[in-house]
Amino acid sequence: MKREEIKTLIMRVGGTNCDAETQRAFRELGAQAETLHLNEVVKRRNLMDYNALVFPGGFAHGDYVRSGAIWARLVMAKLGKELKAFIDEGRPILGICNGFQVLVEEGLLPGFEGVSAYPEASLAPNIRGYQCRWVYLKNENRGNCIFTGKVPEGKVLRMPIAHGEGRFVLPKEKEGALLAKLYENDMVVFRYCDKNGVAAEEKYPVNPNGAFHDIAGICNREGTVFGMMPHPERAFYWWQQPDWTRQTQMTQYGDGKLIFESIVEHLAKRC
Amino acid sequence: MKYRAKIEVSLKPGHSDPEGETTARLLKELGYAVQAVNVSKAYTVNLEAASLKEAKAKAEEMSRRLLANPTKDNYTITVEEQK
Amino acid sequence: MSANLFLRKNTAFSLFEINTLEATDQQLQAISNELGLSLSLQEMKAIQTYFNAKGRNPTDVELQTIAQTWSEHCFHKTFKGKIRIDDKEISSLFRTYIAKATEEIKPRWCISVFEDNAGIISFDKGYGIAAKVETHNHPSAVEPFGGAATGVGGVIRDVLGVWADPIACTDVLGFGPLNYDYAKLPAGMKHPKYVYMGVTAGIGTYGNNMGIPTVNGAIYFDDSYTGNVVVYCGCIGLLLLNKYKKNAKAGHLIVVAGGKTGRDGIHGVTFASAELTEKSEEVSRPAVQIADPIQEEKLKRALMEIRDRELGSATTDLGGGGMSSAIGETAERFGCGATIELDKVPLKYAGLAPWEIYISESQERMLLTVPPENTEKVMAIFEKEDVEATAVGKLTSEKRLQLSFEGVTVADMDMQFLFAPPKSVKTATLQPVNVEEPQFPEPANLTETLLRLMAAPNIASKESVVRMYDHEVKGNTALKPLHGEYAGPNDAAVIKPLDNSWKGLAISCGMNPNYGKIDAYWMAAAAIDEAVRNNVAVGGRRIALLDNFVWGNPEKPERLGSLVRACQACYDVATALKTPFISGKDSLYNESPLGTVTPTLLITAVGIVPDVRLTVSIDAKAPGNLLYIIGKTYPELGGSEYYKLNGFLGKSVPKVRAVQARKTYYALTKAISAGTVKACHDLSEGGLAVAAAEMALASVYGAELDLRKLAEPLKRDDFTLFSESNSRFLLEVAEKDRESFEAIMKGKACTEIGKVTRTPRLVIRGFKGDVTVDASVADLRASWKRTLSSEA
Repeated sequence: MKREEIKTLIMRVGGTNCDAETQRAFRELGAQAETLHLNEVVKRRNLMDYNALVFPGGFAHGDYVRSGAIWARLVMAKLGKELKAFIDEGRPILGICNGFQVLVEEGLLPGFEGVSAYPEASLAPNIRGYQCRWVYLKNENRGNCIFTGKVPEGKVLRMPIAHGEGRFVLPKEKEGALLAKLYENDMVVFRYCDKNGVAAEEKYPVNPNGAFHDIAGICNREGTVFGMMPHPERAFYWWQQPDWTRQTQMTQYGDGKLIFESIVEHLAKRC
Repeated sequence: MKYRAKIEVSLKPGHSDPEGETTARLLKELGYAVQAVNVSKAYTVNLEAASLKEAKAKAEEMSRRLLANPTKDNYTITVEEQK
Repeated sequence: MSANLFLRKNTAFSLFEINTLEATDQQLQAISNELGLSLSLQEMKAIQTYFNAKGRNPTDVELQTIAQTWSEHCFHKTFKGKIRIDDKEISSLFRTYIAKATEEIKPRWCISVFEDNAGIISFDKGYGIAAKVETHNHPSAVEPFGGAATGVGGVIRDVLGVWADPIACTDVLGFGPLNYDYAKLPAGMKHPKYVYMGVTAGIGTYGNNMGIPTVNGAIYFDDSYTGNVVVYCGCIGLLLLNKYKKNAKAGHLIVVAGGKTGRDGIHGVTFASAELTEKSEEVSRPAVQIADPIQEEKLKRALMEIRDRELGSATTDLGGGGMSSAIGETAERFGCGATIELDKVPLKYAGLAPWEIYISESQERMLLTVPPENTEKVMAIFEKEDVEATAVGKLTSEKRLQLSFEGVTVADMDMQFLFAPPKSVKTATLQPVNVEEPQFPEPANLTETLLRLMAAPNIASKESVVRMYDHEVKGNTALKPLHGEYAGPNDAAVIKPLDNSWKGLAISCGMNPNYGKIDAYWMAAAAIDEAVRNNVAVGGRRIALLDNFVWGNPEKPERLGSLVRACQACYDVATALKTPFISGKDSLYNESPLGTVTPTLLITAVGIVPDVRLTVSIDAKAPGNLLYIIGKTYPELGGSEYYKLNGFLGKSVPKVRAVQARKTYYALTKAISAGTVKACHDLSEGGLAVAAAEMALASVYGAELDLRKLAEPLKRDDFTLFSESNSRFLLEVAEKDRESFEAIMKGKACTEIGKVTRTPRLVIRGFKGDVTVDASVADLRASWKRTLSSEA
């Protein structure tokens, strides 16, 4: 498929607010991207017209009850069948920040045994409350995740986070076993680290929210559904970086571009 | 003596409760016959005090000073001794 | 109070006629008090005359509508009214000083000033920038979280009210000392710490939830803010100028959209005496407002689509005064009248009287006028976004305001009467304050002093608060409030709002309430200068200003006198700097049991950065680079943080030499455009020493300064280092650019004063050549971060 034929759907509901910059990222790479309200997608029943789906950041439905919970339940109730088909065909689904919370609440991530009826993990309140700051992430994925195809294993990326509920946790009693399973299936993607790539070991602020095992992003077993708390769309251009005025060599893009580039390249090759 | 105070803070009637209203609307969309949802916050406070009376007074004070804003919130307190 | 002043009408709903026909002056005053109208006797008599001529009594709906329309909040009686001062008379502070400055500067790039919900200036590629700043002090004092949050919500709606898409928020906050003694707090007053936590959380929540980055602001601590918290909320918007539609006509429908209407914000009304209320109130009258940012986010989406498809003819927000002011002002603006069916307004709960519906200040509501042929399309857009919208009436060619409820006319007044309140006359006196310059010996070594100053609440890092605000959402923040790894305090934020343009928008502010304790004139002058120099420091130019006054009771002549002084400074400095005012607002009557608020003027500045790639940040860039001080240092320490640290106020308040300042700013802008400025930081609280420390602590390097290099040294090292003289900067310039930089700055006060060093220490040599400051940058950073850190 040519890049310009790739169709991406950025879904939104009341309270979604990172759709415009996410759409911009795809368009900058030559792919088509359209932002539609869930109500419109339900009305048009056109989810399968798209090659990739993104749940962008924001505060969907005010994040009432739990972050992402209401949007997740609505999507499953209204579009559950289509979404299942979308996943079964291996079409990529990306969740950023609030979108990651949605994917967890939908039971799509981690998805140890496929889509789960109830959440298998949680993005719990941060240990120090809402935070907006730049963090470093290490790519720990060995090649399963299609969203990091352009990111070499072990590479350190820099992106901002901005959330109050992003502390990734697994059920305490099975934490160790589930973590092993995440690694076994190559589902761990990003971990918080310092600028040299040394793991945060859950220390603040290198790990900004207290996430278990410094986990910032995971994918499903197939590597086609991916959620991350940091915002790649806010690290797309070099001038979005927090200290670009210090850099003597100006590049055109920031690290976030690699995520979008990976999706587009994957789709271009695949079809 | 050790006491456990349960303090529930809820909005006084007449105030908007966007969280409750949103939740009610979406529960309805999911097919439940819900009339209304109100959201309240519950705090369990473990504290030391000389007597039950003092523990109650302290819980009352905490509620007024921090946990609730009397201009918009109601609060209820139950205190029991921790065994 | 005799009950026969209030006559219950024989209607199925609550409606009263107020017996003004034969009321005495005393009774008129009593009516105003009883109904919480806050109208003066002069105004009540004007109402009496109007209705007597009609041969009938006014209804409660009419009186409440008039009271809102004529209120300080909606009509700005003090700024628009007459003021007697000495033997002179000022016909209007606003016309004489604020608007006049803009008129004289005649900027072609100002599209709309003072007349709409927000000021609008031109930007690039057919786009304009809208800007508005509001205060929300009283609601924040009652309920800090909700008050601050709804303050943000309100100012965002102001920007929506000019069809602009909100792209950035600002917030400037004033609190009492966080360590205020609980025992000294009057009953019912909330502790500054509680207010601080609530207000900062409220500001963050609203902007974050709506996805609007909060990019600039300040937090200021002052004793007087203990009883009078100061909450300024600002919003910047972007609009295609050809979509700026304000062409409502008679026959267009009036639509209320967004949240439902309840008794929110109706306070001070004492209409509850036993004879009058048959039904007891089932529901309390909440003066406190609860924010629902998601409602406003949805409303914004709908409005933006209506704008893009050009389906509406005008819009305005429902803020202070609710429908009464929004409908009245819209009809007045387009030379129309209006008929409204109040029973159509969607309510939160039953039982609201018509007057309550009409003046309710329930949040997250907007008013639109829609040509009838577009109604269906507009309603479909609202439905798609899950927003409730209702046509409640229409504009009429007859210039009357007619309100009905269930078929009964509840108000019928001429627009001309409603919008011509009797002009208020107030008296002002100028009262110089009795202040003295302190005498104290110069400390032998200033290292300790500097470390203490870095930790002073007004200087200390506000990082713990700024991190709670999403300043990155929308992905357009090119210069951030927290710079780089060490969260250095940039002078202004720069936004790059358009994908297809490198043009940026610099947003900065200035506020120096402490100077006002010596002289309100120089306080206002300094606020303007600070806002402008912060903007210039990052590369901003073509700067527009917003003025926001927070003052005490203007009925007290000396308070009004200082307001007059401040307005004079606004005119003098703005015209000299050629920076027009485009929007402003005043909040008066800020008084509490602890006394009046320190007169406070916030100046917000919005400038243009021609290319964001030329933006200058504050952090030192490379060892060996030269440091220059721009602008002249005077022995001006009155009201300074240094004096405050030593327990003094002083007299030598920093002045503004505006004509000189403009020349300096012009040259500096040229130097920035030429790419010769590697880093720039304005000198403000704490003066040169604090600026140098901040420049270093934002980087991995250090700096050395030598005061002997100054052309006209002051007598004392401490005065030189901590003077707060205006219009000054500290600059970093690469050795290779020395000549071209110095050529640009020729003839301006510009002195090379030191170097950036690889060793992360700040070392300053005094006039005698001895080292007077020697501190590690790590220590300076630690002191600066400690005071307001979330861990403290």
